[in-house]
Amino acid sequence: MSRVRRFFRTYKPFTRAGMQEMIAYRANFICFLIGEIMSAFIMYFVWKAVFLSTDRETFMGFTMEDMAVYLFISFLTGYLTYSDGAFSVGEEIIDGSIAMRMIKPCSFEMCFLFQELGSRIISVAMIFVPMVAGVEIYRCAVSGFVRFQIGAFLLYIVSLLLAYMISFYFNVCYGFMAFFFKNLWGTTLIKETVVNFLSGAIIPLAFLPSGLAAVLNILPFASLSYTPVMIYMGMYSTSQILWSFGLQLFWLVVMFGISKLIWRGAVKHLSIQGG
Amino acid sequence: MENMIYAENLRKEFKKIIKEPGLKGAAKALFKPKREIITAVDDISFTVSKGEILGFIGPNGAGKSTVIKMLTGILMPTSGVCRINGKIPKEDRKNYVREIGVVFGQRTQLWWDLALRETYAVLKEIYQVPDEQYKKRMAFLNEVLELDDFITSPVRTLSLGQRMRADIAASLLHSPKVLFLDEPTIGLDVVVKENIRSAIKKINEDEGTTVILTTHDLADIEYLCERIVMIDKGKKVFDGAISELKHNFGDVRTLEFELTGVPDFQLLDYSRHFKMKENDIRAELDGSTVRVRFDTSKVSVEEIVSYTLRTVHVKDLNIKDVEIEEIIKRLYRREVSL
Repeated sequence: MSRVRRFFRTYKPFTRAGMQEMIAYRANFICFLIGEIMSAFIMYFVWKAVFLSTDRETFMGFTMEDMAVYLFISFLTGYLTYSDGAFSVGEEIIDGSIAMRMIKPCSFEMCFLFQELGSRIISVAMIFVPMVAGVEIYRCAVSGFVRFQIGAFLLYIVSLLLAYMISFYFNVCYGFMAFFFKNLWGTTLIKETVVNFLSGAIIPLAFLPSGLAAVLNILPFASLSYTPVMIYMGMYSTSQILWSFGLQLFWLVVMFGISKLIWRGAVKHLSIQGG
Repeated sequence: MENMIYAENLRKEFKKIIKEPGLKGAAKALFKPKREIITAVDDISFTVSKGEILGFIGPNGAGKSTVIKMLTGILMPTSGVCRINGKIPKEDRKNYVREIGVVFGQRTQLWWDLALRETYAVLKEIYQVPDEQYKKRMAFLNEVLELDDFITSPVRTLSLGQRMRADIAASLLHSPKVLFLDEPTIGLDVVVKENIRSAIKKINEDEGTTVILTTHDLADIEYLCERIVMIDKGKKVFDGAISELKHNFGDVRTLEFELTGVPDFQLLDYSRHFKMKENDIRAELDGSTVRVRFDTSKVSVEEIVSYTLRTVHVKDLNIKDVEIEEIIKRLYRREVSL
């Protein structure tokens, strides 16, 4: 028990530092947030146009109301599970500034993780609560009764946390690519677009051809966004939920393992090339 | 005396990929890289006693920083052993770094976007410094490094001198047993340099902190260290007290003659008169003063004085003490062999 407490005591200040950095760059954060919300609304109006142009009530099993919930919750999920805290790790190894981390008695990825959690706490406070409330009010207004289910919501939170951890370790691995590319700006654009598509953030995976959808469902990207959103919407049965939790855990372990392997190689590189 | 730092046959090799010039060279390097092994540190052994300040000097690229990086556990030695405070850095990094402080003059360990005070609060938790001790420590560091003026400013707004003082304070917050300083006075003005020197001295005297210091400013060395280790091209070339260095190579002396007429200088030609190489005797004119540096093992003070007095009119004469800087300059230029 005291070890756990010591662990949190050590890394808690990073969370505080992350929150302070977020506040220091608040204008940047607010602009970014406005941009993201605008793009969520654009997607909403595009889908609305799609639904208006057909006579059918549902489209691939989604009503317009489902679609709206899907879009906003998947935007929210994508936003909260987005992780770039560890992007700099590759660059830090190249330019040797990783040395400044090595002289501190803490683990590297935990420093990154807890620092990023700090900024996430602020995001949650600022957009999570209003966004979920907004979506629920919309659902209630359209259907005429309260659709919010506490059980599904709690399962969503669990899935969201798993999704964030997968995203974190995935991006730790991605950060090491700076070794080869020197600068990640261009590759990040590609990665974001591909991940957004593969994770169902743009189009629900259910809309894709069933073969493709089945493959994408198993890939780690679905675990990042699609899985938690489907759980939130109550679209998954109990067995599907258990299956997807298992899958999320599996990908988390895989990503964690890969990042550890790359890290070991990177430190060796540091030792060979000089800091 | 107990050894705080113990290094035996430390050796570090780097692999370097040689790229040939041009696009063709780059393509070739991609598919069939030509590797070259560079020995940055070549069998260096030394020890530092508890409470000692050791000056680590050498020209640029001599391997000083590489040694510091191995001692602090950032780099793994290719071969050889180092043990600091009874621990081997690579074996248990997290526990090892808990008891050392490190400052790299060229980098900062502070959080760029945080106010300085917050940075210290973060470090307090990382090193688990108890509240009471933290308060005392901050008061002490404030006193010796004068942090008060800028402790509420974000680190990114600090000047270089402020940042360096803040960095040194950060490395001392947890009362480390060993302090590694890699060029702590680089790029600083004289006042800040002195401030930092006296802070290092005070901490060493008050707490018995063992310090290992690399620098290019020999005034740092003269003020702080009793003993120096000099390395060049990865090899240790001198290890001993500063007084020993002066004693062994103290044959370099400087005489100053103030002349009555400036044109007289042209009459003096020491190297031809004494048939000595340019390196062994050197004369320069500064205003109306002629400064002669020479090797007393080759020519005596008396001979120089009498030749000068015979040749020109001298108003004043000054015999200067041996300067460590002069010895080291000559060592760097490899004029003196060890």
